[in-house]
Amino acid sequence: MGSRRFLYVALATASLWGCTGTIGDTGPSLLGEASLLPQTIRAPLRRLTRREYDNTVRDLLGDTTSPARALPSEELGNGFGNDAGSLSMSTLLAEQYATVAEDIATRATATPAALERWAPCVASASPASEEACTRATLTSFLPLAFRRPVEPDEIDELVLLQQDVRDGGTYASSMAAVLEAILQAPDFLYRVELGEPDPERNDRRRLTPYEMATRLSYLFWGTTPPPQLRALARDDGLRTPEQVRAQAALMLEDAQARPMVRTFFNGLLPIAALGDVHRDHDLFPRFSTSIAGLMKQETELFAEHVIFDGEGDWVTLMTAPYTLVNEQLAAYYGMSGISGGAFAKMPVDSTKRRGILLQGGVMTGTTHANTTSPVARGAYVMRKMMCVNIPLPPSELADLVTPPPPYSGTTARDRFSQHSADPVCAACHQLMDPVGFTLENFDAVGMWRDQENGATIDASGKLPGYEEGVGGPVDLVNAIAASDEGPACFTKQWLSFAYGRTFDTRDKGTLQAVTSAFAAGGYDIKDLILAFTQTDTFLYLPQDPE
Amino acid sequence: MTGFKLDRRAMIRGLGGVAIALPWLEIMGEARAQATGPAKRFIAVYTPGGTVRDRWLPTGTESDFVLSPILSPLEAVKHRLLVLDGVEMRSAQGEQHQAGICALLTGTPQDGNFDNYAGGPSIDQVIATRISRGIKQHASLYMAVRWATGNSRGLLSPINATVFEDNASCAPIPPRLDPVAIFNSLFAGGPGADLVAQRERLARKRSILDYVDRRYDNLAKRLGVADRAKLDAHLTKVREIERGIQVQEDALGEQCAAPARVDTSDYKHDIGSTFEGATDAAIPKVGRYMIDMMVTAMACDLTGVGVFQWTDTEAKHTFPWLGLREHHHYYQHDGGYRPAELERIYQWYAQQHAYLLESMEAVDMGGHSLLQESVVFFGSELQEPPSHSKRNMPFLLAGGGGGLRGGRFVRYDNRSHNDLLVSMLNLFGDARTSFGRDEFCDGPIGRLT
Repeated sequence: MGSRRFLYVALATASLWGCTGTIGDTGPSLLGEASLLPQTIRAPLRRLTRREYDNTVRDLLGDTTSPARALPSEELGNGFGNDAGSLSMSTLLAEQYATVAEDIATRATATPAALERWAPCVASASPASEEACTRATLTSFLPLAFRRPVEPDEIDELVLLQQDVRDGGTYASSMAAVLEAILQAPDFLYRVELGEPDPERNDRRRLTPYEMATRLSYLFWGTTPPPQLRALARDDGLRTPEQVRAQAALMLEDAQARPMVRTFFNGLLPIAALGDVHRDHDLFPRFSTSIAGLMKQETELFAEHVIFDGEGDWVTLMTAPYTLVNEQLAAYYGMSGISGGAFAKMPVDSTKRRGILLQGGVMTGTTHANTTSPVARGAYVMRKMMCVNIPLPPSELADLVTPPPPYSGTTARDRFSQHSADPVCAACHQLMDPVGFTLENFDAVGMWRDQENGATIDASGKLPGYEEGVGGPVDLVNAIAASDEGPACFTKQWLSFAYGRTFDTRDKGTLQAVTSAFAAGGYDIKDLILAFTQTDTFLYLPQDPE
Repeated sequence: MTGFKLDRRAMIRGLGGVAIALPWLEIMGEARAQATGPAKRFIAVYTPGGTVRDRWLPTGTESDFVLSPILSPLEAVKHRLLVLDGVEMRSAQGEQHQAGICALLTGTPQDGNFDNYAGGPSIDQVIATRISRGIKQHASLYMAVRWATGNSRGLLSPINATVFEDNASCAPIPPRLDPVAIFNSLFAGGPGADLVAQRERLARKRSILDYVDRRYDNLAKRLGVADRAKLDAHLTKVREIERGIQVQEDALGEQCAAPARVDTSDYKHDIGSTFEGATDAAIPKVGRYMIDMMVTAMACDLTGVGVFQWTDTEAKHTFPWLGLREHHHYYQHDGGYRPAELERIYQWYAQQHAYLLESMEAVDMGGHSLLQESVVFFGSELQEPPSHSKRNMPFLLAGGGGGLRGGRFVRYDNRSHNDLLVSMLNLFGDARTSFGRDEFCDGPIGRLT
């Protein structure tokens, strides 16, 4: 795009209701100001998410029951459900931690086979050997549960607890109480990072090798450090940035890293709830929740394919002339040449669809009813793909404006014409509607259409901040792929996800550095993910805790 | 408190079916003494999507009025009911639905951005701190049916968050969703349970929490301010549970009757908005079961505060028992405004509210009913779906706690709902004159007593 202008310039003239020159948290400085030095930002204390909790007890105890489903859900926070800054603590959560721990401990001590795995000496212990057995069990288990070496008094404390509850029950049940207690300890539920002095610099601290193993393990595999990482930590093999990157690269290539990518895209794209989407059967007889579920798989598998098996770069992710479908989904889209339930790569009509954004899943997921909403779609693209903050409608407007009925007018453009006619609406809606209009060729179930209610759809629009018009959906994704904001926003989303928090203005330097490296490396996504392990924020802690 | 305990137990045993309520009302209603002093119980009920105003608004005067079609199911408890009109939810600033649910119990706006929550505590938690926290087994009970539907994807989000921690900012509280877990949490070890075994079980829990408590305390001291605050917040909750156990130990042997267990295996509490026929069909059963548990928990003095939430602002579930195959939001505006279908939905919610109030009226707390010592608030996030207006909110109050005077249709001249919230707090002996964001407060709304 030749004559681009930065978004904040374009918006400076439209300031009636607060849609002035703000483009999200990154602000104009992301693109317009001199470079800022990357800073070390302290990671807030993170609590295991439900997914991480389940994986952790699976790996520690062989408990595959996904017990964390009984915990209350995380806050939406940064959109990925792992935002340490927004995780609040409720009585219900504390209560459920206890209930879930009791269930896990009961299962871990219920049968000889279960005991054999967790505490093999318990079954044969005599009264005289109980304490030795308790100590032996804790000596091997507690460092795994706390993800670090433990002090003798930390074992003593639990031996006392075991003895305290021993009366009236079996030895095994007293050991269950010990496990219950461990599973509620902050050292287990939270990822505690105290750090240690950095011999090279006294203005920062470094992570202990065990803390680094924990960071890597939860980032890439969503679970407690596996044996090879624990061994590296023990042997002081996670000290240098090179050591960390090498280990991160190994983990990223492993199949266990795939859920990380799926989790990221389920947070970024409106596909997580596709299995729940319902549309009027009379209007869309070929659509069903099972088709929607396949669309979700399509998008997940496409992202995995591009990143791990395909070209590997973000531009391809946005503009690839292919997708992954199986026979049922191909038939829905009107594609042929594939049979069976397995998904495979298939070319698409690249004058109509390209890349991840125009897949059926995203088009369906950005539609909340039987008719499309250019506002919702445009807002989605601008917020999540361009990181532009759309202000909330001021309450003074709520009484003045009634949203158009969904079946009024011939086309969506007719329905939402007031937005451009009325300057009060236009101030904000010029950020959303012109983007949404370019996607009107996709109906509420992700299918291509040339007409709406007998009228030819005009899919022309505009990517805010850029002067050239956009002629339709493929033009739109090409424009995003060619923009400065697109890759910067993708980087920013990864930063929030990888660091488990909301973007902080102090992250600007880090974001700029990583974004530049992303561009210089041809937008390779794996390199981007690995780059987040090489920042000062990932490798070090600030000297003074906040 | 021994004098009336047996009677109370006998009464409660009848709960679980609304059929028992009416004959008792007639026999005993006149004989009851009025509850005096501050209100003792608070319940808030949330229903989504406002109402159909011209089918909701009563006709008549303050004391002589006729209930509307939507409110007609409440006829039997009309003498305990206050229908409020002319209250505006000014603090509901932000996304149309989200700002409404965020403000409903907090009187604070959804500041700044989509994805933001309310900015302050909800009144139920403030009341809980005053009358329940550390005094009763549970500081409060927050239950929801068919929650986190649609775009919230099962996460706690401003689309569905109603309740916010006291003494903390922007800290939403997740509801209890699983009817089986709620029953176990409230009534496990009920009557007939072995007292010795119960005492041992509580002692064991206490030993474990002792350890947990010490770990949080010690670790918090080694962390920076921000992280310490997080562990302190966790520790506060652990201690709340420890105090609850102590209250439970003191009350061992005094349990009153639990409601009968209900088989809810056909209801999946964690499936988001999936159009799951069996789960949607089970909503009426699960809702009544939760109401029974809520009322019993109050009657047995397990808690003083409850919030009951019918779904969330997305409301993406169907009503098969009403023959309505689309979801609630579809009838609100996604499929165009459908007042006829909506009226049936809102009337059904009014029936369920009548069940709650009649059940409370049927519980004798020693010369007066549970409803008489309570304040029950019923509200939604907006007035009417087509406009999303926050004026003339369809709010109801019921009960008699703190001198609340029922049997009235009270019309205000466009007062801020923050003023209603503070007046509700006043009923509990809290003398403050404003609640929520200051700019929306003009002083207590008055005319409640």
